[in-house]
Amino acid sequence: MNCFRGILAAMFVLMVAPVTVADEEVEVLLDGLKNPCGVAVQPETGIVFISESAAGRVVRVVDGAVEEVITGSSGDVYGKGPKYDIGPLGIVFLSKNRLAVADGGFPDGEEFIRVFEVPESGQPAVTYETGTKVGPISATDEIKAEGNFYGIAATENAIFVTCNGDDTKGWVSKADMQGTEFGELKRFIATKESTTPPTDAPVAITVSPRGEIVVGQMGEITVANDAKLNFYNANNGKMLLDRDTGLHDITALLYSPKGHLYALDFAWIDTAQGGLFRLDDDKDNGINAVKIVGLDKPTCMAVGTDGSLYVTVIGSVEEGSQIGNGQLIRLKPGL
Amino acid sequence: MRFIGIQYIGIVLWVVVSGNTAEAKKPIHIPLGLERTRLRIPADNPMSAEKIKLGKQLYFDTRLSRDDTISCASCHRPDKGWSNGERFATGVRGQVGGRSAPTIINAGYLNTGSLKFTKQLQFWDGRAVELEGQALGPIQNPIEMDMTLEEVVTKLNTIQGYRAQFELVFGTAVTAEGIAKSIASFERTILSGDAPFDRFRHNNDQEALSTAAHRGMDVFFNKAHCSACHTGPNFTDGGFHNVGIGMDLDNIDIGRQAISGQAGDRGSFKTPTLREIARTSPYMHDGSLTTLEDVIDYYNRGGYKNDQLDEEMRPLNLTDQEKTDLVTFLTEGLSSHSYPDISPPQLPE
Repeated sequence: MNCFRGILAAMFVLMVAPVTVADEEVEVLLDGLKNPCGVAVQPETGIVFISESAAGRVVRVVDGAVEEVITGSSGDVYGKGPKYDIGPLGIVFLSKNRLAVADGGFPDGEEFIRVFEVPESGQPAVTYETGTKVGPISATDEIKAEGNFYGIAATENAIFVTCNGDDTKGWVSKADMQGTEFGELKRFIATKESTTPPTDAPVAITVSPRGEIVVGQMGEITVANDAKLNFYNANNGKMLLDRDTGLHDITALLYSPKGHLYALDFAWIDTAQGGLFRLDDDKDNGINAVKIVGLDKPTCMAVGTDGSLYVTVIGSVEEGSQIGNGQLIRLKPGL
Repeated sequence: MRFIGIQYIGIVLWVVVSGNTAEAKKPIHIPLGLERTRLRIPADNPMSAEKIKLGKQLYFDTRLSRDDTISCASCHRPDKGWSNGERFATGVRGQVGGRSAPTIINAGYLNTGSLKFTKQLQFWDGRAVELEGQALGPIQNPIEMDMTLEEVVTKLNTIQGYRAQFELVFGTAVTAEGIAKSIASFERTILSGDAPFDRFRHNNDQEALSTAAHRGMDVFFNKAHCSACHTGPNFTDGGFHNVGIGMDLDNIDIGRQAISGQAGDRGSFKTPTLREIARTSPYMHDGSLTTLEDVIDYYNRGGYKNDQLDEEMRPLNLTDQEKTDLVTFLTEGLSSHSYPDISPPQLPE
């Protein structure tokens, strides 16, 4: 257990004091977004990119307004009620101008990771079909096809996505990467089989400062407080840590500049409980999720070059409405 | 990860139930395959031999109903897999409910979710929290036992044997809270594990499952993807799913939606355990499928399509052999030789 504790301590920065942010530290940068589900900050420029999922496009924020970067994804619907229109989901920069976009707008088995060279600001947007396709993951006789690649993360030599197809295994898939060359996208970690008790729906994913793959499992959306946090070896997929969080449905994970691990909780079962949480290791009692700020259906987050935290939320709209009520929110540096 | 592995090693684990000095210690056998720590015992309701004994009497006592005809055991019978062997539950005056009686086997076992945070939801629609929250529901249901709590407390307080036991266990006369806690404590002892599947999985006993059951297990966890919902040691995810049953009727039972208010929960019901499934016919929340063959045929067709049909429902394309093997796994593999077949106790006067 001492070794185990050592690993745990290295994965979290130990904090015990509760922290909440004051209202003046939270700023709405954009609203009217249609189901934003991904956010990434461009290296060197610090420009914020958003996958506006229900609009089937990726945009960047320039002078407080959106500018189209990638357009034309088809759309799909997620959920049984409420239902959410979705298209492109997670996004991550592989280099300054190379952006990987995870599909959500197509049928399972026909979805890809798409890699784009993003045009400079002010240049015309590129179309969705022009991206380099990595995938798909087809069905076998026994395993469903994969799709709805919600979370995406990258190391120096691989891209990882969370998958929503096969609920018996709950896959994280991986494609090796060497420069601009990509290997086959393959099922990599059967997260449900690795957790105790078996918990599925890997959704959030990030890479720890030590290079581990960190996965947030939603669990059942009809069950409260069952979200899990799992750490895996990025090379062999071996489980390193399996922890309950007490959160409902983790949609995003992120290490802040100070090294703290943060999670967004969508909280399907009661979205009023959703928000941004800091995940602290309180040693003997596992993880202590400290609520930083309440948010209305938060979906993704990224750190800015100045240490700001950018968070996307879907917000509340009437069922079937075509009006977007999503927001890009900025939390001031310091977390 | 050694810590997690240790939980699976023991063939027999024991929970020592304890409480105050009046609550003698008694071991509860935790069968192979279940995890000791997941037998959920609320801090404010520690188990004791006396409390379990009292709960057992209350569970089997028809005097908890208005006309002295119905007890918990009327609909949750030990000889019927702790269900009732009929399509629906029948209450006082022959009134028939609209749902089947779910088994109480492993009802006190928190199969999924966080031990620290997750509440255990009871009933097909999850309207009650923990067994303590469930126990008083049927007593007050007008088509089940049809009593008010005040009436049942008054009635039981006229029975000297109950008064004495409540005094011993709780230090009070009969109370509704004490009734709930006692019945819940008894129900927590109704556990099933140590089935051939467990001996194969945890003891690496290669002889535990027949060849057909072994093939069926492979179908269960792969091609038929039963384990998408029937997962973990108790073969349930604790969640609520619409599998299409009853959605073709004029009067749809909306199930979980009535509690959650979520449109997505329309026609959803709690995933039941599959432990002792061979004993709990008929199946589904409305008892509409008589045999396991019927159930597998239904799932093989992909379920009745509706707007809330679970994503996991799709045609399975199982062969006849695979269907037969799956039934063999369910019946042979998940039936325990230590099934809790309990006889009714002598009731207090």
